Amino acid sequence: QTKWNLPAAYPADNPHSENLVAFAKDVEAATSGKLVITVHPGASLFKAPDIKRAVMTGQTQMGEVLLSIHENEDPVFGIDVVPFLATSFPEAMKLYQASKPAIAKKLDAQGVKLLFAVPWAPQGVYVNKPLATIEDMKGLKWRAYNVGTARIGELVGAQSVTIQAAELPQALATGVVNSFMSSGGTGYDSKAWESLKYFYDVQAWIPKDYTFVNKAAFEALDKPTQEAILKAAATAETRGWKAWEEKANWYIDQLKAKGMTVEPPSPALKAGFQKVGEQLTADWLKKAGADGQALVEAYKKM
Amino acid sequence: MGTTLAGHGNDAAAVGLVRRTLDLLYLGAGYTAGVFLVAIFAIMMIMSIGRQFALNIPAGDDFASWCMAAMAFLGLAHTFKRGEMIRVGLLLEKLHGRTKQVAEIVALGIATAFILYFTRHAVQMTYDSWRFNDVAQGVVALPLWIPQLRFAGGLVILSIALIDELVSVIRGNRPSYEKGSPDETPDEFIERISQGGGG
Amino acid sequence: MANLGMIELSFILLGVMILFLASGVWIAVSLGLVGFVAMALTTSLPLGTVLATTTWSASASWTLAALPLFIWMGEILFRTKLSEEMFRGLSPWVQWLPGRLTHVNVIGCGIFAAVSGSSAATCATIGKIALPELDKRGYDKGLSLGSLAGSGTLGLLIPPSIPMVVYAVTANVSVLQVFLGGFLPGVLVMALYSGYIIIWSVLNPKKIPPRDPPIPFRQKLRESARLAPCLLLILAVFFSLVLGFATATECAAWGVTGALLLAWWSGTLTRKNFLESIMSATRLTCMIMLILAGAAYTTAAMAYTGIPAALATWVQGQELTPGMLALYLSIMYIILGCLIDGISMIVLTAVIVLPMVRQAGLDLVWFGVYLIIHVEMAQITPPVGFNLFVLQNMSGRDTFTVARAAFPFFVLLLAAVFIITEYPQIVLFLPKLAFPD
Ligand code: NA
Ligand code: NA
Repeated sequence: QTKWNLPAAYPADNPHSENLVAFAKDVEAATSGKLVITVHPGASLFKAPDIKRAVMTGQTQMGEVLLSIHENEDPVFGIDVVPFLATSFPEAMKLYQASKPAIAKKLDAQGVKLLFAVPWAPQGVYVNKPLATIEDMKGLKWRAYNVGTARIGELVGAQSVTIQAAELPQALATGVVNSFMSSGGTGYDSKAWESLKYFYDVQAWIPKDYTFVNKAAFEALDKPTQEAILKAAATAETRGWKAWEEKANWYIDQLKAKGMTVEPPSPALKAGFQKVGEQLTADWLKKAGADGQALVEAYKKM
Repeated sequence: MGTTLAGHGNDAAAVGLVRRTLDLLYLGAGYTAGVFLVAIFAIMMIMSIGRQFALNIPAGDDFASWCMAAMAFLGLAHTFKRGEMIRVGLLLEKLHGRTKQVAEIVALGIATAFILYFTRHAVQMTYDSWRFNDVAQGVVALPLWIPQLRFAGGLVILSIALIDELVSVIRGNRPSYEKGSPDETPDEFIERISQGGGG
Repeated sequence: MANLGMIELSFILLGVMILFLASGVWIAVSLGLVGFVAMALTTSLPLGTVLATTTWSASASWTLAALPLFIWMGEILFRTKLSEEMFRGLSPWVQWLPGRLTHVNVIGCGIFAAVSGSSAATCATIGKIALPELDKRGYDKGLSLGSLAGSGTLGLLIPPSIPMVVYAVTANVSVLQVFLGGFLPGVLVMALYSGYIIIWSVLNPKKIPPRDPPIPFRQKLRESARLAPCLLLILAVFFSLVLGFATATECAAWGVTGALLLAWWSGTLTRKNFLESIMSATRLTCMIMLILAGAAYTTAAMAYTGIPAALATWVQGQELTPGMLALYLSIMYIILGCLIDGISMIVLTAVIVLPMVRQAGLDLVWFGVYLIIHVEMAQITPPVGFNLFVLQNMSGRDTFTVARAAFPFFVLLLAAVFIITEYPQIVLFLPKLAFPD
């Protein structure tokens, strides 16, 4: 019997963690208990920023992480957070297919084998006042937590504010920030409706959690076990995408039920965001070079 | 500690120089840790006040976190030497003379071995961060080996302090971290105890 | 866990821990070694790499950065004339109460606790003025020592509090919520203490000296104006948070700013005091941080062994009521509290206790406050109790005499634990008010 660990960053009741537990069960069943995978949700073994490195260096055999947090390391990890490149689940799937070989190759060079990826809900804008056009965002206290959100803040003329995720609910309540970009789920979890009244479902991007395995650990397994993992991974991927499409709508409904004004952006606002998106795509392409260019073109052809 | 070598003029001078250099190293690292404390304070105040004037420190939270790690580890050797690293002293306080010395050597030996192991891997991690080109994930993509260098460096200095202490105790000296020296006044004692944050 | 049962492993680890602690190995190192042994016995993973990763990750933390600032704030205030002003400002107002100036110990510590995060510092700061003043007037030595020892521990329960930051970081709950949770129980403990002093004084009227000569109301007010800077500091920190100037972490920096202003205003902000406060705060932080680093590694190592999860499942199987679990844990913490300091007590047990507590359905903010009251008791139980050490040196009595004087206040803290277990809303009211769900 082999025992593996799978650290994950999100709480046990998050759909990602639930999907991983189901994946672990599938593997255990398919190998008749030869490979037992323990999922450690809620960053109880490693914190999100450390998980990829932990798998690379063999501190754990498997891991799951929001890969875009590593975009500073390589632009290709951040392709799914380029704003307005892929704004719906079908588009996100296409982008995933187009970028998968490049991401898998990059991970492979780090001794990590990519197993599957599952999306989060699309990102929208939470704000304390109605937005008719992008100009209305000028002067907002905008939470900037990564390169993309900092750049959006800069382009729309908002005041970037640095707030850690853990302090977000309190920062919202006391007005330290009055706008931020996140998915329906994060807004739901941090009870955004208590301080902010508007959610613009601009579907800026759909980030994904990637599950991967240490290559050497994987190759040390016998063939049937390897195949069992790959098969369970494929199942988990399908299951995860389906679950999140449903969950995304559920979150939106919940926000409405809590009294938030949930709207798609007006044409004028959308046009404004599109322009920001073009600028940010250009930014990204500059960083990602010819390889990135080829990726985006391949995606657009699909 | 130069007493055992007294009479060997040049040797004693050399030992004295080493002693002074080491003490300066611990103290200097301790002062540097203090500077990082002030830096955390400054970053937080600038972030807090700056928000009222549309001034933001990009990745200010990251910089404060790195200052935190830097202060925590750079100050270790100084803290250890001053006897402010806590332990359960109930049994050791009952011992005297030779038994006491052996017990101290055992405790110091265990600590030195563990901290050396810790240091070796902290250095390795820092080197790997540099080798893998690991960068921060926030708004500022600072290479991680830079803040990690202070973490590893603090541990290296602590390792030196531990070996230094171990050698000294083996030679029969009283541990420098030992508190409650007979010449301590009640005021000094109260000040020392009242600074214990656990209490 | 190849060929080693979970129970055997637990006992081996417990044995290893006791062995190292008893041999005088530094607490942080003992913790790290337990993690090391746990991993070495159960996995073939790179132990050292995990050690480096988890300790780095635990130390480079924004939330933890509040810790050295709260410590620094206390170090600055310890070097001011705050205590003298507190005594002169409060004493005219408590003369009519049975017990008279003894209440200054309780109220003074309660107010000072709102700017200091440490118990021994609260005890020493208030005690250095109150103890000689009470002696001079002929107050009962036992009552003044005991009330001072007990009230000093309020430094931990009334926010800010260093062990609360440590707990919040260890348990991954909001520091702000634990702070808010401690406030009303702090008031409760003050009420219990004052109530006890009143009853004791009514029963022992001969042991309470007559009141000081009365002073005119206007002069009373003038004397009390001395309390203003301290109250302003408390308000400033509070409002920096509520008005959105600062996040929960940043308000520690406002506390330092306030303390510096107060020290400057009272003329005690000398260059020497300033530098000493920095270096004292640095050393104390380093001591705590190495323990936290050791604990972070042990936590990860324990996650690999699966012991915490198994224990949580076991607790679930026992169908313990939360009240019973709280009772068992109380007994354990009181025993531990006799022997080790508060922060070590929190981090040494967190890995094992928190999953059980979660499983039993206890609120983690409530549990934090419950745990902090046990840490308070630990300050006044012999042989290792920091408030006892402080008062032993101030009064010249030995530890056990001071401990006996403090015993009634230990019992009152136990009563407080009982009350908040029976009425958890005392703890949870303010956190729920600020963060409804
Ligand atoms: Na306090
Ligand atoms: Na005690």
